[in-house]
Amino acid sequence: MKLKSTLGIIGTALLVTFFPHASGQELTGFEIMKRSDDAVRSTNDSSFIRMQLSSCKFGVTQGRITCAERARVKSLESVAKNYGPELKDTKSVTITLEPAAERGIAMLSYAYEDSERDNETWLYLSAMGRVKRIAAGNSEEETEPASLFGSEFTTEDTDTGKLEEYTINLLGETTQGNRDVWQVEMIPSADRARKTRYSRVVEYIDKERFVSLRTEMYDQYEREVKRMMASRVELVNDIWMARSLTIMNLVTNRLSNMAFVEIYTDLNIEDDFLTQRTLTDAAYRETELEKLRSQLN
Amino acid sequence: MDRILLSLTDIFAKAPDYVLNFKKRVLLGLTVISLFMLYGIFTLTSFDMSTDSFLAEEDPATVALDEFRRQFGGDDSVFIIYTPKDGNVFSSASLSTVQQITDDLSNWEDLDRDNYPDVDWEQLNHIRRVQSLANIRVQESVGDTLRSDRLVPRELPTDQGSLETLKVRALDQQDYVSAFYSEDGRYAAILVQTDFGTIPVEGYEPVVNIDGIELDDGFANFDLSFDENAVVQEVEFQDTDQLAYFSFDTALRAVYENYSDEFEFYPVGTPSMMGQMQDVLNQMAVLGTLMVLIFSMLLWIFFRSASALWWPMVTIALSVVWMWGITVWLVDAISSMIALTVLLVFAVGIADCVHVMSAYFSFRRDGEEHYSALSHAYKKVGIAILLTTITTAAGVSVLATSNLEPIKVFAWMSSFGVFLAFFFTIVLLPILLDLWHPKAIHEKNSLADKLGARWTSIKNKRKLSISIVVGILLLASLGVLVGAFMIFVIALTYWIVNSQREILARVPSLVQGSPYLILVLFASMFALCIYGATKINIDTNIAEMFKADHPLTIAVTIVDENMSGTQNMEIMIDTKTSDGMLDSDLLVAVDQLQTRLEEGYPDIVGRTNSLANIVKDTNQIMNDDDPRYYRIPDSGQEISQLLYLFNSANPEDRRNLVSDDYSRSHISVTARNLGSYEYKEFFDDVALDVEQTFGELESTFPGLDINLTGTMATLMVMADEIAQSQFNSFALALLIVSLIMIITLGSFKGGIMGMIPNAIPAFLAFGLMGLFAIPLDTDTLLIAPIILGIAVDDTIHFMTHYRVELSRTRSIASALESAIKEVGQAVMFTTMIIGLGFAVLSFSDYLGMAKVGFFGSMAIFVALLCDLFLIPAMIIIFKPTFGVKNVNTSINFREAIA
Repeated sequence: MKLKSTLGIIGTALLVTFFPHASGQELTGFEIMKRSDDAVRSTNDSSFIRMQLSSCKFGVTQGRITCAERARVKSLESVAKNYGPELKDTKSVTITLEPAAERGIAMLSYAYEDSERDNETWLYLSAMGRVKRIAAGNSEEETEPASLFGSEFTTEDTDTGKLEEYTINLLGETTQGNRDVWQVEMIPSADRARKTRYSRVVEYIDKERFVSLRTEMYDQYEREVKRMMASRVELVNDIWMARSLTIMNLVTNRLSNMAFVEIYTDLNIEDDFLTQRTLTDAAYRETELEKLRSQLN
Repeated sequence: MDRILLSLTDIFAKAPDYVLNFKKRVLLGLTVISLFMLYGIFTLTSFDMSTDSFLAEEDPATVALDEFRRQFGGDDSVFIIYTPKDGNVFSSASLSTVQQITDDLSNWEDLDRDNYPDVDWEQLNHIRRVQSLANIRVQESVGDTLRSDRLVPRELPTDQGSLETLKVRALDQQDYVSAFYSEDGRYAAILVQTDFGTIPVEGYEPVVNIDGIELDDGFANFDLSFDENAVVQEVEFQDTDQLAYFSFDTALRAVYENYSDEFEFYPVGTPSMMGQMQDVLNQMAVLGTLMVLIFSMLLWIFFRSASALWWPMVTIALSVVWMWGITVWLVDAISSMIALTVLLVFAVGIADCVHVMSAYFSFRRDGEEHYSALSHAYKKVGIAILLTTITTAAGVSVLATSNLEPIKVFAWMSSFGVFLAFFFTIVLLPILLDLWHPKAIHEKNSLADKLGARWTSIKNKRKLSISIVVGILLLASLGVLVGAFMIFVIALTYWIVNSQREILARVPSLVQGSPYLILVLFASMFALCIYGATKINIDTNIAEMFKADHPLTIAVTIVDENMSGTQNMEIMIDTKTSDGMLDSDLLVAVDQLQTRLEEGYPDIVGRTNSLANIVKDTNQIMNDDDPRYYRIPDSGQEISQLLYLFNSANPEDRRNLVSDDYSRSHISVTARNLGSYEYKEFFDDVALDVEQTFGELESTFPGLDINLTGTMATLMVMADEIAQSQFNSFALALLIVSLIMIITLGSFKGGIMGMIPNAIPAFLAFGLMGLFAIPLDTDTLLIAPIILGIAVDDTIHFMTHYRVELSRTRSIASALESAIKEVGQAVMFTTMIIGLGFAVLSFSDYLGMAKVGFFGSMAIFVALLCDLFLIPAMIIIFKPTFGVKNVNTSINFREAIA
């Protein structure tokens, strides 16, 4: 069990992933992915997200993919703010609202752009009233992909950074859900290959909106093992983004859906909120969250 | 009965002529069908050697194991146990080496391929995860920080003190001791997890690829509904065949054995074990070839004719081809038991052909021309070979009453193969003998005759020197044991070829001299066998499947003695309630059961692992590593939050341990290797422990279902099934064969008399194994009906000939003398050929096959002694007339000789 080394990644991975991509006309695969990545970073700042993470076994009914059992649902709230000279460091806090047994579990993460500096994560288990700092330590070596809150999403599925660790090819143009898309293939370099379960990932990037509408993950036998589908692509604060992401594990036939129920950016977030106090002091946390909510309209 | 026998005799006499009339058509038909069968063999043959294949799909043990695998996945891992040459796995050199091996196996893509010319790199794609002392991590709570550092840092400490501290720290990790290193620090393990068993079948198309399929609108609307009737695609996983395991094992071995100067390796686990089974199959191919060589050599020497060598071989080969071909056209996968079937078809086919050829040669020697000799030969032995076919097929087919699939298939294949051997002996052999037949005595000598004459002409001194040279050559090329055996085969053959007439001529007077003594000797032998059989221990033990010096046996012993064991048992827990496994009382019960097992059966149980271990570990860590918190918390919420950590960190590990809705989980028990008999007792005890531990929870979880499964359970059920079915089928086989003999000999007394010489060889193997405390395992259990089938052949030939001669001569003395003289030679030849051929298998590293070879061969030779001495003694004492009237019962061989 390597929970401490991997949990550090989770908090930040959530935030750096699902933000919309800026628009552009470049044609090389690398440039398309780079533009998306930069957009993600730039839209990371001062955000408040309320999301639902649902997992279930899926089946098909009348030509549609649906849950075949009642989904296990987790509700989370996440607040993030960027720091540093180029705003490339991120502090975030994620709080679990549901299920009841996990209510109050919170995670505070500081992710630094400087690779020399270890990321920091604190975890608060409400049932025990204890905060533990999770040493990121050697998190970069032999990382087993960690799950996002026990869902089918793993840190690997959501980590779109480090483009230089991939060979990126523009495979062509096609359509996905009536939208024109670029089909971009990402093949991990030898170093990256050690850390990934995938031999290849194919992204379907909306040509106009720069949103990844579909991602196919392949294993070492060239078999597609996971597929991520984006839906409800909307303009949020002038940026296109998918507010519902569904990842399907094609081997276990389980899926997880991440629904960004509410998203707000460019908020005024107190620096103090992104400290350990938010984890342990429920009254303080609620007061600060109320302040944030008041900005939402 | 006499009339039926007479008309049958006529039919057999006419059979060669009839077949020869349609020679071309028959040959064409047989060729076409044989090609079809060969096509089937090469395209459809698929071996299923797994233990699971022995049980029917609906068998409760299989259902439980399948359910377990569906829920928690398979576990085809290789455990590479190693011991460093310096005897200390914690020494700087050893740690450095294990770091390199772990690195090599994890990052095999980076290895310089020029250094591993024989490695099939594709195979290493099956490696999913490598764990060893080099990369396992230890969780600690230091101040307010949770740390998960490597037990052994990448930068190894250089001073002895730090290494000692590291060792102490390692031995303090209860979950790792005996799993990754032994308590005395002499052995350690590298765990290589593979993807075998979790690879979807070729051509598997995920349902999401169907054209036009879309996500339900609920995903976009944030309103996720569910439909219990939605069709969930069941993923079918590839079966892993032995060759796949073997190829992987070979590639893996090539990488780690690069460090064999520093470490000695003892790999265990399914891929490794199956890989070594492939070695056994390869060895079987060599021994099988040697066996066929012995068959051929003896046929050639006994009949001194090349056609007498080739035609029986062609006849038998086609029987095997058809038997194998028809089976693969009808059945999905065949088991390793096909080897036994081939042996049986060989034995029966050789017996059929030798009897026909022996009679044919006898008539040719008497001056008859080819067609007449052929017709007379079939007339003489036709009924006997039909009867032997029926009795052998009946003896083997009773095994079809077994509940075990491969045994059923084996029974049908074998009895069918026996009929095929008969069919080809009647239909094909006359045509083959017509195409190319041995020369008559007065014609030109064969090569064998010339060689024989040449050998006789040389001086004894030269004979001795040639013998010594040949002996040395055999010893040098085949090794001491097999070489010595071959020398014995040659010497025995030499003696039989030169002295068979004298031996057979002396038998009647020898028996008449002391028939009661002979009877008493055989009766004592029989009684001893029966006594031994009562002492037999029916037990299948993996460590005893191979010879003591086989690498697998050594590995299993080392793992059992130094690590937690090689066997696994799973206790499946189904609470039938969502989140049921988060219940504190239930987890406490799980924990108690584990303690009970570990403390109650210290000699058997190596270690146990379950969700309870994870919860206790995490609880302690979250509470500043305070050992008082190494327990299950009282509140379900605390348990849930502790598992939240585990689930987030490694969802795959979590899924291997508990179902997604937390309703089902399992306790893994690693156990030391035992025989199936001891497992059975252990299982009964564990079932009682389970009942006592979980009994009180029935009110909270009314549907609580707890099952024992895993490889051990399957093995135990299988061994038990075989033991049960085997006893019944053996008794049934004896009964059926006796009935057939009584009917065909037309006499109850004669039938029973015929059965005794068959029962002795059949019981001999059981008796000896009981007396020498050799456990009767699943493989050996199967040989009794086969031995009965083969032994009965010679007796039938003997008794049928005796009865026919008795009808003709009305004299017991003449009938007996003729039977010994006429049938004795053929029986002696078949015994030599089959017995010595079988004996080669005794050299197999796989004891299942070695026992079949050894005891089978012994039984065949004892059957010969029974036919030559016991039957005549019984005839002399009891003077059976088989209903033939006016028989002269006076016997006086001694005077005749004098």
